[in-house]
This record gives sequence, structure tokens and C-alpha cells, in this order.
Amino acid sequence: MSVALQCKSVSKHFEGVKAVSNVSFDVQQGALHAVIGPNGAGKTTLFNCITSEYAPTSGEVLFEGNRISGRRPHDLPTFGASRSFQRTSIFANLTVAQNVWLSAFRQFAGNKVEIVRSADSHPEVAEVIARTLDEVGLARYADAPATELAHGDQRLLDFAIALAPKPRLLLLDEPTAGLSRTDTQRVMNLIEGFKGRYTIVLIEHKMDVVMRISDRLTVMYFGEVLAEGTPEEIRANPRVREAYLGRRA
Amino acid sequence: MNRLFNLPTLITIAVMIVFLPIVQRPVVAAEVLTLGIAALATNLLLGYTGLLSFGHAMFFGVGAYSAGILAVKFGFSAFAAIPLAVLITAVVSWLIGLVCVRRSGLYFIMITLAFNQMFYFIAYSWTSMTGGEDGLPGLRRPALIADQWSFYIFTVIVFLITIVLMKRFVDSPTGRILQAIRDNPARAAAIGYNVERYKLIAFAISGLFTGLAGAIFAFVFEIVPIDKIHLLFSGDIVFMTLIGGSASFIGPLIGAAFYTWLQETVSLYWDRWPMVLGIVFALVVLFFRTGIVGMAEALAQKALGKKAAKTASGEPAEARQ
Repeated sequence: MSVALQCKSVSKHFEGVKAVSNVSFDVQQGALHAVIGPNGAGKTTLFNCITSEYAPTSGEVLFEGNRISGRRPHDLPTFGASRSFQRTSIFANLTVAQNVWLSAFRQFAGNKVEIVRSADSHPEVAEVIARTLDEVGLARYADAPATELAHGDQRLLDFAIALAPKPRLLLLDEPTAGLSRTDTQRVMNLIEGFKGRYTIVLIEHKMDVVMRISDRLTVMYFGEVLAEGTPEEIRANPRVREAYLGRRA
Repeated sequence: MNRLFNLPTLITIAVMIVFLPIVQRPVVAAEVLTLGIAALATNLLLGYTGLLSFGHAMFFGVGAYSAGILAVKFGFSAFAAIPLAVLITAVVSWLIGLVCVRRSGLYFIMITLAFNQMFYFIAYSWTSMTGGEDGLPGLRRPALIADQWSFYIFTVIVFLITIVLMKRFVDSPTGRILQAIRDNPARAAAIGYNVERYKLIAFAISGLFTGLAGAIFAFVFEIVPIDKIHLLFSGDIVFMTLIGGSASFIGPLIGAAFYTWLQETVSLYWDRWPMVLGIVFALVVLFFRTGIVGMAEALAQKALGKKAAKTASGEPAEARQ
């Protein structure tokens, strides 16, 4: 296995506040790496540095040797990366299939702008949409307006949008945030099914959720890396227990 | 292949084209269609992209003055002046769009408004070319379309070509991407679409068609009045778009007809007819957000006693400010 994603000494400061300080980790190709930590640990800021929502104050993020940090958010898919959003982020006024069409078409057409042909005139794109909706289990809702989906199904649609372009890197920001227990289980099963096929970086707040499925974890605390290791190592780490698990034990 | 227009839209277009010149003079009918083109073009931005522009009188005016100046000062025929004017407006709207699309929300509105004022003052002070306050008179329609009816038929042909092009545009990949940007710009960017670039495309195409409307309008009454490049007319175009219904493709055309009808009838009895306009506008914004078309759809659904299918694909959702 080779290293796919490298976070190299990423720091992000906001007017003197060190939201993220010197965070480094490597993710092997096909591995699932979780970044966990209590609220305010800087997980989401780190995520935003990886996805170019923010430019890091220092440090960089490499994927397959290319720098993906410090660019514009719309450059990310060019490197074979897709992201999901913490709060479900879909296109409310479009149908389920049209939601997925957006990312499938982007992958199909690249930067080309098409203004004459009908949006649905590409059978290749339709095929990708059908396959993706099948994978997340939303095929029967293809023509329903996205707003009519149940909350958990909307999160699955959010995933489908990220999956359609066949990314090599999946960046998932608290995929189970705000979901019921049943829906959390559905989403975790889906992510478990991704393992090996995608390199995944997962930001998560709920520790129990990630311990089972992660290959490695980085624990953040007040913007810094507190520990890194396999789930067993993390579970056994006294500093993690103190900072994070301690409150629950 | 999907049908380009659904049946109610086709019927609306056919009825308007046939009956407009009967209930009004053919030139007024031609005016409705040109204003309709401008309102439909404005809705490409407002309804489909979610951008409210208060600068569309600028594009209407640039189209009208370009056509007028080419015809009056340089002796071009309408058939040459109109396409050239469209070209000029396309370049102008692309350049102005470059600046405007960098901002969103209120700032976007204010920049379009400021540019509109700038162009108004150019038209106002450059009297040797534009005729200043008095407008630019002296246009002549070519012999082929000199009389009212043949000019109306010419306008209908241009109108039909325009709405086919516009509908194809909104049904195209770019049209759908614009609707996605309207609904959720952050996600559209994360998927890989350059939001500013797409907004610029929408802005330039919207400006281009508005310029076409202006260029034809110059030949409707064979004069370019200065108030058609004024900020207030930008407001009028937005009024037409919203009152007709920005949530449907064809709504703005109905809005343009309604606006012209108000102007033609109420202004005969009352000089302050814009007050009626204001009251109607306030009522629409307060109670009928979906405009005339939205109301008609709701009534039709009630009358049919069933929940008709929601808006077909490619129809924009209700515009949000």
C-alpha cells in the first residue's frame, strides 16, 4: 500500500486564534482515516483546509502527490476528490436524479460549458446516475423532488452526489450529524461498504461511531494532534481517555 | 427527446400572438413581445440563477441606442442594425458581468444599479449621439416591415426564435447548473462548478437577449426614448418578471402583457398610473409570490380537483431574494 493523502503541518489561525496547529497525518490508499475530537477541537477547520474552503495559514495537503489545499473549492474534484457536507447539502428544487446528474455531468464533461443540447441527452450520464442511486438505495425515488425525501434519505442523496463522479478520495464531514439512530446505522453501513474502494477521511464527533470502521484515527484537542493510531491504540491511550473518553467512562 | 414546451405554455404563446394585435394596435402588440423578451431574459437571471439585477434597463438601452445610432447616424438598415446592436450589448453585458458576479446578494443588486445610472448619464449627456433628454428620433423601418402588420410579423418571428433559444438554454446542462447554483452555491462549487463563471454566462446571455429586445423596441415607435435606459425601467422589467411569475418559463411574458395593458388603459384616465402599478406590485409581493402564472396554476389545480404534477423539470423555483 502507498500513501494517498498527506496532511503536512497544517495550521490555520484566525486573527491570532490558533484553530488548527501543526496537524500532520498520512492516509494509506484505500484506508479510512477518522479525525475525531470534542466540539471546538478544530476538526471542521481542518476539513475546510483540506477542501480549500479555507487556505491554511501554513502547511499543505497533498493527494497523490498533488497539492489540493490553498486552491478554490471548485478545484477539488479535478484531483479525484469528493466531499460531503455536515449539514445535508442538496439542491432542494431539483429531482433526486437531477441532484446526482450535477456531479455525474461534471465528471463527464469536465470544464466544458454546454448550452445547446438538452441536459438529459447523455446516456453515459444517465447510466452513472442510475448506478449511483442504486448503490445508496434511492433508485425508486429518482424522479421525486429532493425536498420530498425523508431526512435520512436526503443524507444518502448527499452521499450519492459525492459518489457519482467515482472519486478516489472521499472527504466526509460528520456524516451522521443530526441523524436518528436508524439513519446513523444506515449511513455507517454504507461507509463500511466503501472501505477499500475509496481513500476516506472522515471527520466525526461521535467516537463510538468511528471506532468500529476506522483503520486509523487522529484525535484533535484544542487545535492540536493529541494522538494518532489504530482504534485499539487510541482506546488504550491514557491522554485520549482523559481528554475525550474520560467524561464518558 | 423531450418536448421543448409543455401544452399550457404553447397555448399561452399561441393565444398571445394571435389575440394581442386584435385587442391592441399591432405596434403595441409588438411592444408587448419585445418587453416580453426583456422580461424573459431578466428571468434567466432572477428565476433560474437567483440573481436580482436592477441594471437591465442598461442592456435594453444599450441595445436600443446601438440600433438607433447605427440606423440614424450611420444609415444602417434595421436588419443590420439589430444584430449589430445585439453583439454590442453582449460585449457590454459580459464586461459588466465580470465586475458584478464577484459579489452576491445586496451588493450584486447595488452594483447593477450603479452601472445602470452610469449608462443613463452617458445617454443623457452625449447629446450629439443619443439626443439626450429628448431621446433619439428619426429611425425608419425598412420597406419590408414598414407597416404595422408586417412589423408585427417580423417581431413574432424574432420572438419565437428567441424563446426557443432561451428554453433550450434553460433545459441545457448550463441551465440546470444555474438552477443548482441558485439553490445551493456552496455545494455546486464543491461538485466542481466555477460559480462565478456560470453566473457570468447567465449574466451575459441575459444581457444579450435584453439588448435584442431593446434593439427591436427602437423600431417599434421609431424612437429611442431616454426613459428606457433609466433605472426606473429596470424596476419595470423586474415588475413584469415578478408579476407574471418568475417560477415559470413563460410567466414574465404574461407580466409584460399585463404591464403594457395597465399602461395603455389606466394611463388614459389617470396620469399617476404608476401608482396602480405600485399597488398591484405590493399585492403580488405580499400575497401572490408566484405571480399571475402561479395563481392560474393554483386555480387550475383546484378546478381540476386534483393535485396536478408539480412544476415540470426545467422550470425554475420561486425566486428568492
